[in-house]
Amino acid sequence: MQKNPLGILLGTAVMLMPFSASAAVSLPKTVEVDRGEVEAVCNENNPEWREAQTIEGVEIQESLRCSPDNPYSIAAEVKGTNNLSMEAVMNTHYAIDGIIKKNDMDGDGDPDLIIIKLEVAELNGHSPDFKGVVPTFDIAPGIQPAMWVFAPKSRGMATNSFVGVDANPLLRAPSPVIRVEQGDTIWIQLENTHYFPHTIHLHGVDHPFIDAKGEGNDGVPQTSDKFVLPGQSKTYEIRPRTPGTFVYHCHVQTHVHLAMGLVGMFIVEENRPNNWVQTFNVGAGQVRHPAKAILERFDSEYDLHYHAMDKELHSIVQDYNDPRLIARKMNREYDMTDSTEDYHTLNGRSFPYTLRESMIVTEPDQNIKIRMFNSTGEQLAMHTHGHKGTITHYDGVEHNPIAQITRDIYDLAPAQRNDLKISTIDDGFHSYGEGIWIFHDHREKGITTDGMNPGGNVSALVYKSFLDEIGMPKGIGESPMQLFTKKFQQRKLPVWQNIDSWNSLGEVDADGYVAPPASVAAAPDVTPGSAVNIPAEEDNAFRNLIMGLFLGLLAYLVVVKREKITALLSSLKGG
Amino acid sequence: MLKKLSIAAMSMALAMPVFAEKEFEDHNNMMDHGDGHLMDMTGGMIMGQNTDTLPGGCDSIAATKEITVHAGHKYAEKFPGRMYAFDVQEYQFEPCTKLTVNFINDDSVRHQWMMHGLPKYLYPKGMFHMEVTGPGKISGTLIFPPGDKTYLVHCDIAQHMEKGMKGQLKIGKGDGDLPSIPGVTAYVIQDDYSDSKDDEDESIVEAVTEEMTEIKEKVVGNDSFFSGITIIGLAIGLIMAPLLARRFKDMTVGEVLMDVLGLVKAGFELISKAILWLIGLVKK
Repeated sequence: MQKNPLGILLGTAVMLMPFSASAAVSLPKTVEVDRGEVEAVCNENNPEWREAQTIEGVEIQESLRCSPDNPYSIAAEVKGTNNLSMEAVMNTHYAIDGIIKKNDMDGDGDPDLIIIKLEVAELNGHSPDFKGVVPTFDIAPGIQPAMWVFAPKSRGMATNSFVGVDANPLLRAPSPVIRVEQGDTIWIQLENTHYFPHTIHLHGVDHPFIDAKGEGNDGVPQTSDKFVLPGQSKTYEIRPRTPGTFVYHCHVQTHVHLAMGLVGMFIVEENRPNNWVQTFNVGAGQVRHPAKAILERFDSEYDLHYHAMDKELHSIVQDYNDPRLIARKMNREYDMTDSTEDYHTLNGRSFPYTLRESMIVTEPDQNIKIRMFNSTGEQLAMHTHGHKGTITHYDGVEHNPIAQITRDIYDLAPAQRNDLKISTIDDGFHSYGEGIWIFHDHREKGITTDGMNPGGNVSALVYKSFLDEIGMPKGIGESPMQLFTKKFQQRKLPVWQNIDSWNSLGEVDADGYVAPPASVAAAPDVTPGSAVNIPAEEDNAFRNLIMGLFLGLLAYLVVVKREKITALLSSLKGG
Repeated sequence: MLKKLSIAAMSMALAMPVFAEKEFEDHNNMMDHGDGHLMDMTGGMIMGQNTDTLPGGCDSIAATKEITVHAGHKYAEKFPGRMYAFDVQEYQFEPCTKLTVNFINDDSVRHQWMMHGLPKYLYPKGMFHMEVTGPGKISGTLIFPPGDKTYLVHCDIAQHMEKGMKGQLKIGKGDGDLPSIPGVTAYVIQDDYSDSKDDEDESIVEAVTEEMTEIKEKVVGNDSFFSGITIIGLAIGLIMAPLLARRFKDMTVGEVLMDVLGLVKAGFELISKAILWLIGLVKK
């Protein structure tokens, strides 16, 4: 019975082979990655802020998005903090002297002297006291690049509350859109609350090179202006004669200061009687109190400010506290010619946060005025789904109406502005009908957040019939839940996790996985002419060994016979 | 329209006096909005003003004190690497002291003197806060509760505390020191001051190492003439040379060649014998 133990062992092994083989050749298993905390799609809903309303005589349009602007702030921006009741100003974060409007010099019912105060704030900045940034401004879940912005003059704390570190609503990206009326006297008072020098250059806006006091007014340190140093203030004085969509930005170390976010839209509205314009549009987006001339031709108006950031630049101020070190890193060591833009934002946020703030909400048969501005370092190719828009103005200058172009891609050079007219007439050309129509950069990196898609500057034009009660689009596609997690933004979540019942495109768990021995390739295809003649790789080991042996021997000979060789050489020379 | 604009232009001259150098402003005529909140229309504000209510645990006001605090960019001069500061970083008072602070802003931007951690039943949000758009002065009063405690005083404008505008106020013995007070305590998170030039050298070393590795890979790569095998051959050649020299001593080139051929032949015979032996084994 015990005669042939080897035979028995082998036999058993052969019999078990089918089972062991299936385990040995399988691929690593699929696992589900915990997506962690999922944020509320709409986190701060003030339902009463969304309604159309009138505050102290200021008419404010409806804003159905999830995070509407505070109507009291809009009232302050339209009337000026000096003309609004103290109670109303207390409902905002504005300093009591933040926006001064007075002197109806032409008697047309609106103020003609506008004093605008701007401070400079660092968002997501460094603290020497704890690991983490302050005050925080997330462009997407957990994404906190440091930014510098011009901010309306506020009062009280930089943070929103006493418990958190999130920035108060006036401290945010982008730098606020400034709106003035053609012909008004505007004093822009830059109060430099930052730790570096800055200036303001009014790009495209009609302004004298030298102001009434003989001081430079162009904001360029190399030609006209002194630096506005930390703790100092400087007033720029203008009376713009030409309306249009323009720009303001810092002109000190412009390449980095502009990229850090010290750039905003500056809009000069056409002069009309009794025309109180909304001086700031904080966070850009919908203008809830459009100017008179806009309402003559349009139902609503939107400011769309596109920006992009290189995370290497935007982390410098988070890594150091000493302003001298930051200046060295930023001005001398950071090389913008080697940079790449990682974060792509619309009105200071990336998708999906853009859905909370920067949607265009509309109804059929409306006309929408859109002002687009590109403050990135590259050309943008904005595309609207479901609509063809007409470019009415380039850089604030009206294009010949006969020659105006209607298209679905609007290219924007750096610093360029396009004014668009979008019509929601369902005629198969201007609009294809109601729906949730996204609009986005068609350079594909623009629709990513540091390479992770979906993200970037995507937003949507949404018809009211497709909007839910909290102001989010009633999508009929895949759930956006996972986009509202930090894990997704950190690239830790498989984009297609749980795409089907058995998670066929989930995460691979290769821990402890050992690949089985590779199978022998099938017999090659010998059909004539089917195979490509690839020369086999030559094994040169033996040749190299012999060559080495030869060289070694030669070297030995040279050393041993050096006297003879020297003699030979000298005799040859002498000969 | 044009007429209106020209009128506007003319009246601009009338508006000019408003646009003058910022003058020092004494914010001494503020409106009381209740709950210790005072404010005026030119950028002066106090929150948590308390001139007469005794905090619980205080039988009476222990002392009445007055300080003047300056704030501004220039006070950071004595603290290299800072941008903003108060003129004094540390204060100490007895519990139940009634303190009046004259806060003077020497800059042309907003600054604050903000204190947290006060009893919330007396001070809204536990805070005493003075704010003024400089250059100007504002005065506020509070009464401290009993107990040893260190209070943080700072300017909460973005990056002002981080860049130096921070101090501490000890009541009684206080309860320790706060970090990052200019000239008093160190940062919790320190900056890395290692010279950038060193960094560059390091990176050069790294770059060179990388390049060398690349070159080595190219040189030692399998397909090159100068492969690792060549080097081994070279070594063997050098070691064997004296042995061979002894063996081939006094031989002609032809004899040496014949000898080498003989050796190779013997080698081949040995290999074929081995193979035949193996075949024989299999046959059995």
